[in-house]
Parts: sequence; structure tokens; C-alpha cells
Amino acid sequence: MIEARKVWLRYTPSQEWVLRDASLTLAPGRIVALMGPNGSGKTSMLKVLAGLIKPGRGEVLYEGSDIWSMDESRRLQARRAAVYVSEKPVMVRGTVMDNLLLGLRLRGAEPRQARDALDRVVEGLGLKGMLDMDARRLSAGQAQMVSIARALVLKPRYLLLDEPFSHLDRARRRLLAELLEELRGEGVGIAIAGHEELYTLELADSVAWIESGRVAMQEPGSVLI
Amino acid sequence: MEDLVGVTARTLYISTTATILASLWGIPIAYLIASRRLQTLATVFEALVGIPTVLIGLLLYLLLSKQGPLGSLNLLYTPTAIILGEAVLVTPLIVGASHRILKASIDTYGELAASLGASRIQAMALALAESLPGIASSMAMAFSRAVGELGIALLVGGNLKGYTRTLSTSIALEVSMGEYGDAIRLGAVLLSLSLGFSIVARLLGGRG
Ligand SMILES: Nc1ncnc2c1ncn2[C@@H]1O[C@H](COP(=O)(O)OP(=O)(O)O)[C@@H](O)[C@H]1O
Ligand SMILES: [Mg+2]
Repeated sequence: MIEARKVWLRYTPSQEWVLRDASLTLAPGRIVALMGPNGSGKTSMLKVLAGLIKPGRGEVLYEGSDIWSMDESRRLQARRAAVYVSEKPVMVRGTVMDNLLLGLRLRGAEPRQARDALDRVVEGLGLKGMLDMDARRLSAGQAQMVSIARALVLKPRYLLLDEPFSHLDRARRRLLAELLEELRGEGVGIAIAGHEELYTLELADSVAWIESGRVAMQEPGSVLI
Repeated sequence: MEDLVGVTARTLYISTTATILASLWGIPIAYLIASRRLQTLATVFEALVGIPTVLIGLLLYLLLSKQGPLGSLNLLYTPTAIILGEAVLVTPLIVGASHRILKASIDTYGELAASLGASRIQAMALALAESLPGIASSMAMAFSRAVGELGIALLVGGNLKGYTRTLSTSIALEVSMGEYGDAIRLGAVLLSLSLGFSIVARLLGGRG
């Protein structure tokens, strides 16, 4: 379980609070949708959950332990349970394959150890014909798929997806939705930030609405239009 | 006129060494500015980009002349003096251009690496690796500024034949003697060097 508890966040001391007393829980085998208008704090909340930014106040718990009271190496170890996928897909120089293996390389792991995960995402997200392409020349939709695949190669227990459907065409949305449902079935906890997209809402076990940095928890039945 | 190949080779040697020297201290400074967000220092270097070369020449002349604080090093009118001056000249350019590249790279690739579970050091290494083409481009820009520079080469180099004479000081000399044909030939070589490296800078920058 990953839990943000009563989190307050701002990026500079002179700024207004971007997250105010915000709480969110991500449980294994569940998909939570984080919905809200532009600038409401969705991206900030996902980055806090991922342990990428330290909140000014509040706690971020991984399996019950506050990651910001750990020393740096233990925090890194804990953080690796979750992978955050940005709304802006960033590719490093090289091929699509180089990018898919980036996380393993950064963690100092052997690509062989991830053979099965790699084959599965390449297959599942339809990337087979793209592996040798220059990653910097992909379309926005292709890059988004690759950046999601790059996270999945690491077999994270928690997946934090920031507007993952935004650049995808209908066929790719379908592929991604199917893969996410499969992963949920295997116990992966998934958070999806988005606007009011039906895709996200259909997938979600619960929906959290965020506005001006405040989070309200709601069940999906009550919000499905 | 001194042999064209010799002057060209010396000019290349001096400006390349100056660029490398400036990079050796400029890139670490740029990295510090980018990672520690030292905006004031960045502004200082950016303000110095357009500094007239003759002022650096004058300052260095005062430092290196017999009565100057560094007079005992006997560097005045040596290629080393020109190298030092040109290194100082292009330092603001290298720092100014690379700190922007590094900052953008740290923001983008540092966060990407962290989100994939990299340690802080691995994240910085990725950010550095991804900024290499851009940094190389700023070095090529620096070279193209150093290679055509006149004020420093004249003041602290002294335009000594076969020793400190560069393309730019040769041109000045040929013109003063009315040898316009030679001056134009030298100018063409200088132009192609300077343009060549500008183009290299462009190409590298575009790939970054
Ligand atoms: N790096 C940053 N520095 C300063 N302010 C930021 C930064 N990132 C986001 N913000 C601000 O925080 C607020 C929430 O942004 P964000 O979390 O990106 O919202 P969302 O993802 O819902 O659009 C916005 O007002 C935004 O301007
Ligand atoms: Mg966002």
C-alpha cells in the first residue's frame, strides 16, 4: 500500500499551497483515478506518491513506513516499488529498445532478468515493429506508449500514470486499458491521473476528485455519468 | 608572408587549446550553476559574453608585463599568453550556453531517471550524458569566437613571426603593409575555419 497522508506541498516558499491536506491511498490490485481540472494538483500528487518530491507537511507511507524519515538509500529501495510515468513522454537518445532498457540500466540490473516483462509489454502494447526506431522521432502517441512500456519493464508493484491516454488513438487506448486490467488482476496498484475521460473512469475501482489541491474520495458508482 | 599552413596550424592549436582550457573550468562552473540554481552567477557570466577582446588583452598585458604581478612567469609575447587570454574570453560563452543546457537536462532527464528508480548519482550521470551534444555545440561556438579574435593575440602575443603570429594578426599586418591580396587569402582561411565550426555547433545543437 502507498499512502499520502494529509500532505501539503508548494514548490517555492512564496507560492500558494499546491496540495492542501491531501490524502490518497493506492492499494495492490486496485485502480484509482485521480480526476480534476488543469492545475488542480494531479501531477504534483502523483509525484508525491512516487516519492519524487518531498511534501512540506504530511506523510508518504510505503507499506506503512514514512519514506521521508528513511535515509536516502532505504528511501530509494522503497521508492523502486513504484514507477511514475510523466504526462510528457521524454525519450533519451537512442532507439526505442534503448529507452525500454533505460530503467534496468539505471538500476544496475541485467536486461536478461527482465526478458519476460520486456516481451510482454512489447507484445501487449504493440511495439514490435518500433524497437529499432530512433526514439526521438516517435509521434506523441508512440512516445507515450514507449514511456509506459519503459515503466512496465521494471515490473513495478505500483504504477503512477499521468494522463496516459492523452495522446493515444482509439486502438492504443484499448491496448493500454486491457493491459492495465490484466496488471490489476495480478495485484499491481495503479493510479491514473486524467480529466473526465470515460476510459479512466471505466477502469477505476475508485475515483478521487482533486480541486485546488484538495482531494475528495468518492466511489465510482456515484460519479459515472 | 609567412607560410600559410604554419600560421593556420598555429591558429588552430592556440584556439583549440584555449577552448579546451576554458571548458575544463567552464563546464564544472556551468554544472554548479545548474544544479545549485546559482542564478546571480549565471547572470554575471551572461553579461560578460560580449566583453571586448581588447579589454581582456589589456588586462592580461598588465598582469603579464615585466612590472606586473605575474611578470616573473615570462609569459608575455608567448603562445601561452594568447591561449590564456582566449580561454578567459570564451569562458562566459561556454558557461552561459552550457548552464542552460545542463539545467534543462537536469530538470528533464534527472526527473525521468529518478522516476525509474535511479539513485541521485545515476540521475545526474544521465542528465550529463544527455547534455553532451549541446555542450559540444557550445565548445564549437567558443572555438569559432576564439579563432578570429584579434585584440588579445595582438596585445599579449605581439605578432611575432613564426611564434605568436595568428591568422587574425597576419591579416592586420598585411593590411597595414598594403598587401591586400595576402590579407584576403588569410581572411578566406579564417572565414572557413570560423564558419566550419559554427556549422558544427549548429549540427550538434540540433541533435541535442
Ligand atoms: N515545478 C513547479 N514549480 C512551481 N509551480 C509548479 C510546479 N509544478 C506545478 N506547479 C504548480 O502547481 C499547481 C498544480 O500543478 P500540477 O500538479 O501540474 O496540476 P495538474 O497536473 O492537475 O494540471 C499549478 O498551479 C502549477 O502551476
Ligand atoms: Mg498534470
